[in-house]
Amino acid sequence: MPDLPLETSNIIFELRNVTHQFGSLAAVRDVTLQIRAGERVALVGPSGAGKSTLISLLNGTLSPSQGEVWVLGQHLARLSPRGLRHVQRQIGTIYQQFHLVNNLRVIHNVNAGHLGRWTFLKGVISLAWPLDVDTAAKALAQVGIPEKIYERTDRLSGGQQQRVAIARVLVQQPQAILADEPVSSLDPERSREIMSLLRDLSQTTGKTLVVSLHDIDLARSHCDRIVGLREGQVVFDRPADEVNETFIRALYKITA
Amino acid sequence: MQKTLSGRTSASPVAVPRPSLFNRKTGWVLLFIAGVIWALLQAGLLQHDFVNPGGWERVRRFLAAGLNPDLSPDFLRLTLDVTITTLAFAVCGTFFSLIFGFVAGIFASEVWWQSILPGRVGGRSLYRAPWLAVRSVLAFLRAIHEIIWGLFFISIIGLDPLSAVLAIAIPFGAVTGKVFSEILDEMPRQPYLVLRNSGVPPTLALTYTLVPQAFLDALSYAFYRFECSIRAAAVLGIIGAGGLGHEIFLSLQSLRYEQIWTLFLALFALNGLTDLWSGLLRRRLGAKLSCSGADCVDIDSPMSGTATLQLYRYDRVVRASLIIAALLIPFSFWYIQPNFGKLFSERTLLHLGEVARWAFPPDFSQLPLSEWLELSAVTVAMSLLAIAGAGLLALVLSFPSAHNFLLPGGLLVPSTAGLFHRTLGWAVLLIARSILLVARSIPPPVWALLFIFVLFPGILPGAAALGMYTLGILGRLMAEVVENLDDRPLTALKALGARGGDIFTYGILPLSSPRFLAYGLYRWEEAIRATVVVGLVGAGGLGHLLTEQLSSFDYQGVFTTLIVFVTLIFLVDQISAAVRRTFREN
Amino acid sequence: MFKKLILMSLLLGSLLLAACGDAAPAAEGAAAEPASTEPLVISAIPDQDPEVLQRQFGQLASYLSEQLGVPVEYKPVTDYAASVTAFRVGDLDMVWFGGLTGVQARLQVPEAQALVQRDIDENFHSVFIATKASGIEPFEDIDGLAQLKGHTFTFGSDSSTSGRLMPQYFLSQAGVTLDDFKGEPGFSGSHDATIALVESGSYEAGALNESVWDNRVAAGEVDLDQVQILWRTPPYHDYHWVARPDLAERYGDDFPDKITQAFLSLDPNNPDQKEILDLFGAEKFIATSNDNYAQIEAVGREIGKIN
Ligand SMILES: Nc1ncnc2c1ncn2[C@@H]1O[C@H](COP(=O)(O)OP(=O)(O)OP(=O)(O)O)[C@@H](O)[C@H]1O
Ligand SMILES: [Mg+2]
Repeated sequence: MPDLPLETSNIIFELRNVTHQFGSLAAVRDVTLQIRAGERVALVGPSGAGKSTLISLLNGTLSPSQGEVWVLGQHLARLSPRGLRHVQRQIGTIYQQFHLVNNLRVIHNVNAGHLGRWTFLKGVISLAWPLDVDTAAKALAQVGIPEKIYERTDRLSGGQQQRVAIARVLVQQPQAILADEPVSSLDPERSREIMSLLRDLSQTTGKTLVVSLHDIDLARSHCDRIVGLREGQVVFDRPADEVNETFIRALYKITA
Repeated sequence: MQKTLSGRTSASPVAVPRPSLFNRKTGWVLLFIAGVIWALLQAGLLQHDFVNPGGWERVRRFLAAGLNPDLSPDFLRLTLDVTITTLAFAVCGTFFSLIFGFVAGIFASEVWWQSILPGRVGGRSLYRAPWLAVRSVLAFLRAIHEIIWGLFFISIIGLDPLSAVLAIAIPFGAVTGKVFSEILDEMPRQPYLVLRNSGVPPTLALTYTLVPQAFLDALSYAFYRFECSIRAAAVLGIIGAGGLGHEIFLSLQSLRYEQIWTLFLALFALNGLTDLWSGLLRRRLGAKLSCSGADCVDIDSPMSGTATLQLYRYDRVVRASLIIAALLIPFSFWYIQPNFGKLFSERTLLHLGEVARWAFPPDFSQLPLSEWLELSAVTVAMSLLAIAGAGLLALVLSFPSAHNFLLPGGLLVPSTAGLFHRTLGWAVLLIARSILLVARSIPPPVWALLFIFVLFPGILPGAAALGMYTLGILGRLMAEVVENLDDRPLTALKALGARGGDIFTYGILPLSSPRFLAYGLYRWEEAIRATVVVGLVGAGGLGHLLTEQLSSFDYQGVFTTLIVFVTLIFLVDQISAAVRRTFREN
Repeated sequence: MFKKLILMSLLLGSLLLAACGDAAPAAEGAAAEPASTEPLVISAIPDQDPEVLQRQFGQLASYLSEQLGVPVEYKPVTDYAASVTAFRVGDLDMVWFGGLTGVQARLQVPEAQALVQRDIDENFHSVFIATKASGIEPFEDIDGLAQLKGHTFTFGSDSSTSGRLMPQYFLSQAGVTLDDFKGEPGFSGSHDATIALVESGSYEAGALNESVWDNRVAAGEVDLDQVQILWRTPPYHDYHWVARPDLAERYGDDFPDKITQAFLSLDPNNPDQKEILDLFGAEKFIATSNDNYAQIEAVGREIGKIN
């Protein structure tokens, strides 16, 4: 499986004056943003700020109402469905509610990471007789739940399900990982574990990480850049260690 | 030793043994395949041809008549009249089945029994025995087909429209009762317990807490029942209830195809509009189909019980529906004029006594055991073939019939698809839906009389007739499942670059399969019930025995056969419960 | 908004009412008659041409009403068992039954009387038919029925005298039991369906009412290249009017006789009455009695249709 011909510049994601409307509501407003390879970016901001919308724009689930989204040097709007899939294979996404297929076994949810590369037939066969078990087992061992491989996914706890989602991303071997509030359904201890897992993953393999978070401390401790969003607009965009209480208070303040 | 990314060391990677391919699930699948093969052998596979080429000429003539339906004013007036009659029977039948069902629902709910009999005896809860008894009574009532109920009521009440109304109300009321009790049992109990703890008697407490909570689900289910009642009313026409079924049978017996088509069109319109209305309403109620039809099994998603009535009081569709229903009910009673006085008249009691005397006691020695087994086997084989065929076809048709599948923005189509895709999507959707509508609108005995021309007599034409009818209903229920799928896991798959086919096999199919299975099993039981009405076509089985006994006025025989029949349905019920358990738990 | 909806629903409701105004329910028609006398309710077993049946009974009802001086109402019933049962419970006063159903009805309503029948009914026949492809040849003697062994076969409705009872009786006389056929015998539901099913080859042979067969052949509706008649059965008694015993009580002792007279006096020279006779396919009606059906009853018991 040849990787995409990467542009020489190492910009992975780029938004150019992107606006996204839901009906009359602009969830994302005229956002311009660049994210480079290997960066770990936290998206923070109050509820409804547009974090999830932004992440959906980055992985091609949503297409912008205005502006351009460039991923891995490709302008998404210009791509054929096939071309879009090709880019999407290079981006792994993790969600707050996991979005796994609950009544499949763990192995199949993990193997779904292969789907961009596998033939359809291989995918179908694997459902009956799991293929590439080694890769899946390794990924599950990496996230710490190797023994759950043949368990039904809905039998797992929330933290374990999030690990399955991460294992799926591991199997997918993307260049960038998007995570939309990956830890908000988990307890503080589990949250830190999962965030560390993501950080280490990014550190050891040089993968780009974009993660939306509600917990500023986690953002500061696990990322190196923080983007503050409010009402669909970027309020600040700075290195993690420069983001202090003033920024945060301004970001979350209640306006009349 | 392997180092995990989170910095911990995991124990040496335990190689989890791959689970065997042969587990309970695959066991059931193999059993099912074996069952279908057995059924095909019963139907005479390898022994004779199935398809009668000589019948195609008839089929051609029949279809050609479809281009030229009888549109003479007289016949149109008749058609309108009988269409309204069928509608009116369905409305009245539904009305009583809901009243009966809601009352029965309370008394068949576990929560009600638990609170009136909280004690335990010898480690067993006291309430279980009476609770199970009530449920068995309901199961018995619904195991008997509407037609049989109809004949029963004619023989005690007479030809009054009331007979047909009761024939719908009793079995459907029993199903409604079962479903309603399960809805009640699934509802959050706290408000109820609060009232109970402050000394309110159980029935009252239920009426004030769980019943209103369950109202929306129940309302949604009520409209599904109404759809079923329309179909039942059409079938009941055969035994003198009048209406579309009656006229179709008359025309079919004298092979007047042009007239049949006019009546068919009316039937399609009636069914189509009802289904459309009920579908729209239920979508509005947002009751995510937590129960409809499939006996409340396998409720994966939490019930919408938290949604309040207030929310819906202002919805236009809901409001209009309630108003139309409120007008339709008195109109329907006026139109068919059932005579309720007959229900408790002396004459009715007299005839009830007569029938009871003739029927008791059941006499199983009429036929040798081997014969009973043989007839049951034929019945099961027929229903198995019907459900296998219907399930397969419904699987194929349900996806293109769902609004969220092939249309732009659907599960498999980008929202940017052009005019061509949009048109194609709609065309496929309309064709698939029409096939399903036609399949479920035509009553099974009519299907049987059509199939017997192209299939050689035996189990197969009976199975095909039941299969068509089942296909129509199953396909529609399954399309609704697809429309209510949680699309977030699917979006996630799409976002990682999976193709349409992969999303289907790794997302859509596994997500919808538990409900598909539940609906399939539910329709299997229904198919067994309905073998009664296709017994004519040389298909044999208990259904034909019953027809024969009915026309010989052998009440004792009828009663005996019904007992065997109900036992069979109980067995099937047990099997499907076991299947559902296996698939839910593994 | 709410008001608009109510308005619309009312409109819809009244539209519906208007639409069915002239198709008033049957019960209303009855109510319009003089209230003093209960109507005489008549019905018929839907055996042949149910379409025609509907018309013929409308006309007959008005003729009888005129002759008897009581309101007469026709109630259509499609199912054999349902009409016998309705007769038993007293919802139908007088029914045009087939041989078998008439006997079944009389056994359930002691004292019920067979009153009149058509001229052809005392001398009724069934015919056995088969596809030419089946290789079954026409025959003269009842023993020829043995040829049917090993072929597929369909009756008409399972309560039909001419389409089921008597054919099965003659078959058993020739030593053919239901197990001798290939597969189970079918029950087509009607005489016309029997012809159609044999013609199309779904069944190789079948049996039906002679007069339906003759009518369809005369009308050129049967493809005689495909299907042929094998044998006409010996005669037996078939269709007849059966009346409940309580009619005399309700309308006077001479009422049954008045009914008989009304039928017997149908005059082929009167155009209206001729039409009734034509619709029944009769030259005239003749009196009959319960005794004429002893054979049918015996056969019914033998075959298990009467317990
Ligand atoms: N599918 C949709 N249709 C309509 N409006 C939407 C949709 N998705 C999001 N919105 C709206 O867009 C705005 C941004 O939503 P988004 O989910 O991106 O916020 P968020 O920052 O992720 O919030 P949270 O922290 O609560 O997850 C919100 O006002 C939301 O109501
Ligand atoms: Mg969000």
